[in-house]
Amino acid sequence: MMINKIFQKIQKADIRKFRFWIQLFLFVIFVYGGYVAIDVGREIPVFSCGYDREAGGVCYFMSLQHQLARPWERLFSGASLGVLSAFGVFILWFIVFNKAWCGYACPLGTMQDWITALRKRLGIPYSTYSEESFKSLKKIKYIFLLIVLLFPLLIGAGLLDPEWRGAFCKMCPGRLITPMFVGDFSQWSIDFSSKTAIFLTTFGIAFTVVFFVGSFIKKRFFCFFCPMSAMHYIFSPFALLKLKKDGEKCTKCGDCYRVCDMQIWDIADDVKSRDILRDDCIFCLKCVAACPEEDALQVDIVKWAIFKSTKGGFAKRMGFEDETE
Amino acid sequence: MKQNEQPEKATRRVRKVEDPKARHQRHEAMEALKMLDALRHDFSKPLSSMDYFYELFEKVYCRREKLHSAKPMVGTLCIQIPYEIIYAMDAVPVRLCNGFHTNEQSGGEFMPAKSCSLVKATLGMLKQEDIPGVDKLDYLVHPTTCDQKTKSISMVEEIGYDVYHMEFPRVKESEESREYWRRTIRKFTKDLSKDLGRKINRRSLKSAIQKVGKAQLAYHRLNELRKLKSVPILGKDIFLITNAFFFDDIERWTEMTLAVCSEAEARVKEGTSAAGKRSPRILYTGSPPIFPNLKLPYMIEQADGVIVADESCSANRLFNDMVSVDEWFMYDMVDAVADRYLKGCTCPIFTKNDDRKRRLKELIESYNVDGVVYQSFAGCQVYEMEQRSIQQQMEALGIPMLYVETDYSPGQGGQLSTRIEAFMESLKVKNRRKQEG
Repeated sequence: MMINKIFQKIQKADIRKFRFWIQLFLFVIFVYGGYVAIDVGREIPVFSCGYDREAGGVCYFMSLQHQLARPWERLFSGASLGVLSAFGVFILWFIVFNKAWCGYACPLGTMQDWITALRKRLGIPYSTYSEESFKSLKKIKYIFLLIVLLFPLLIGAGLLDPEWRGAFCKMCPGRLITPMFVGDFSQWSIDFSSKTAIFLTTFGIAFTVVFFVGSFIKKRFFCFFCPMSAMHYIFSPFALLKLKKDGEKCTKCGDCYRVCDMQIWDIADDVKSRDILRDDCIFCLKCVAACPEEDALQVDIVKWAIFKSTKGGFAKRMGFEDETE
Repeated sequence: MKQNEQPEKATRRVRKVEDPKARHQRHEAMEALKMLDALRHDFSKPLSSMDYFYELFEKVYCRREKLHSAKPMVGTLCIQIPYEIIYAMDAVPVRLCNGFHTNEQSGGEFMPAKSCSLVKATLGMLKQEDIPGVDKLDYLVHPTTCDQKTKSISMVEEIGYDVYHMEFPRVKESEESREYWRRTIRKFTKDLSKDLGRKINRRSLKSAIQKVGKAQLAYHRLNELRKLKSVPILGKDIFLITNAFFFDDIERWTEMTLAVCSEAEARVKEGTSAAGKRSPRILYTGSPPIFPNLKLPYMIEQADGVIVADESCSANRLFNDMVSVDEWFMYDMVDAVADRYLKGCTCPIFTKNDDRKRRLKELIESYNVDGVVYQSFAGCQVYEMEQRSIQQQMEALGIPMLYVETDYSPGQGGQLSTRIEAFMESLKVKNRRKQEG
C-alpha cells in the first residue's frame, strides 16, 4: 500500500525539477569534486573533462585513447590487463544507468540545458533539423568514435604520427569549456608546435564556438555529434535501465516527439519496437512525462517499472488538473 | 340546417401561408423534440444530471434561444479546426456539422443526390441562414478534409458566406505533412486574429489549452466508467454530451460533464447499472451521430445493447489526443496545437489508416467489447471504402461487426431496427455459449 502510494507520487512528479537538481548536483561533483577530494575514477561514461584539474571523475575517452596508443606488442600482452579492467569499470558504470548518463550526469549536457534555459528566458524560438539533415548529421558521431578508437591504434602500430595522440580530446569542446569553471582559461590557445597541433587546437576552438552558438539555437546541439553517445549505443542492449514502449497503447499523437530534445522520430512513429531507445537518445524522460496514454511509455530497471506514462501525470504537468485535486 | 352552414364554414377556413423560415424552424423543433423525448423517456433509470443537457438541446433547437451572444462566433465545419486558438482570442467556436433531416432535405435541393447526409444537412442549414444557438456567424472556417467538404467550400461561398479555406494534408505520416499543417495553423492564428481584431498572446493561449485540456479530462473520466463491468451510463447520453460540446460554453460544459461523472460514479458505488446484465457491449464506429440523428445509438440501446465505446468525430475523436507543450511560448504552443489535430487523428480521409485499426483494437480490448456497429452515411465514400479492411480486421480479432448504411431519413426505422435487434440477439447467444463452455 505504502509502496503503491509512493509509486503513484512518482508518476505525477515534475520530472523537470527532479532532473534540474540531479544535474546540478552531478555537475558540481564532476567539475568541482577535486576541491573536496572526490574522485570517482577515470572510467566515467560522460564528458567530464580531465583537463579540469579539479574534476571529480574523468571521461573514459581520455584514458582509453591513452591506453590504446601503446605499441602493439605491449597492447596485445598481459600488460594490458589494466586496459581491460578499465573497460570493465566503464561498462559497469554504463550498464546501470544506460544513457541516463547523458540526460542526467554529463556536465557538457547540463551546460547545454542551461544555455537552453537562457534562450527560453529570452523567449527566442528553438530550431530543429529537417528530416534529411537529421539523417545525414547523425552519422558524424560515428566518425568521431572512429577517431577515438582508431587513431590511437594506428599510432600504436606506428602508422600514424604520435602528434595525433589524444586527437579527439584536442578537438572536444569539453577541454576548453570545463576548465573555465575552475578559472582555467589556458586551453583557449592554439598550439603552434606542429601543423597537426595547429589543426587540432584550431578545430577545438572552432568546435567550442559552434557548441555555444549551436546549443543556443538547437536543444542539445552537441549531443547529436557526441562519440560517447555512439559508444553508449553499442552497449545499451545490455543495460539494466530500459526505455520501453507499448505500441498497442500508442496513438501516434506525437506528444513525445514534440518535447524530444533530440528529435527522435521513432519515439512517436515506431509502434512495433518494445525497446525504444535510439542512438541519439539522452534518456531525459521528457517523452515519458509528455505522454498522455497510460503505460504507453515506461522506464524499467531490469524488469520493474519505475516511471510510466500516465494520464494523471500528464494532466498535472500540463496544468490541466487543479492543484487541489 | 347543416347543409346550409357548410359553404360558410369553408370560406372561414382561410389558412395563413406559413413563412418558410418559421416552417423550417417548426420542423427542426419537431425533429429535435421527438429525439429528445425518446432519449429522455424511453430508458429506465435516467441520470438526473443529464437534465442539463436535455434542456440545453431543447433550449437551442426548440425554443431557439441564443447562447453566448457577446462574443464573436467562429463557425467550424470539421473537427480539425483548433478550438484552442479560437478560445485564446476569447471567441467561441461553434461546430456546424448538422444532423437534421429537415436540413438534409433542403441541402438536397441543390446538392448531388449521392452526397453524404452530414454535408447536405450542414449546407442546408447554412442556406436557411438561421443557425441554432447563434445570433450571427462572425467567421466561418472550412478545412479541406474529405472531398465533399472540400468541394462544398465553394458551394457555401455561392450561398453568400465568406469562408476561410483551411488547407489540410491527406497524408499524415510524412514530415512534410506535419510541417504543412503547422504552417496552416500558424497562418490561421494570424489571420483570425487580424480579421476578428482580437489579440492572442502566450497567456491567453496557455489558458485556452488548459481549458480544452480540462474538458478533455472530464470526458476521459466519464469514459473510464464505461470500462466497468456494470456500465453506469448509456451511450446515447454520451453522444448527447459530446454533441453539446459543439456549441456549449466550454467551462459550463466541463462543469456539467463532471456532474454527470459524479452521479455515475455514485451509481457504480451503489452497484446500479444502466444496462442489463447480459447486454452486449458495443463499440460504435463510422460516420458521426450528430443530434438529432442519434437513431442508431437509440436503436442499439433499445435493443438491449450498451454502447461502451466509440470511434467517431462527434465523440471520441474530439477529446482523444491532448496538446503537449515543451516551452510555453507562442512559437511552441501554436505548433503543439497543430500537432494535436493531425497526428493522432483517425479520420478515414487519410491514405493509410493503420492508426484507426489500432485504435479500434485498443478500444475493443480495454472496453471489453462484444460487437462492433459500423455506420456509414450513404455517400460517405471514405467510410464506405474503409469498411472492408475494418471488417477483415474484426474477423481476425473474432469480433462480430454489423455494417449499416444510413442517411437522416426517419423512414428507414423499421428495417434498421430489425437488423440491429437481430445483431444484439446473436451477440447474446454468442456470449451465452461462451459462458456455458
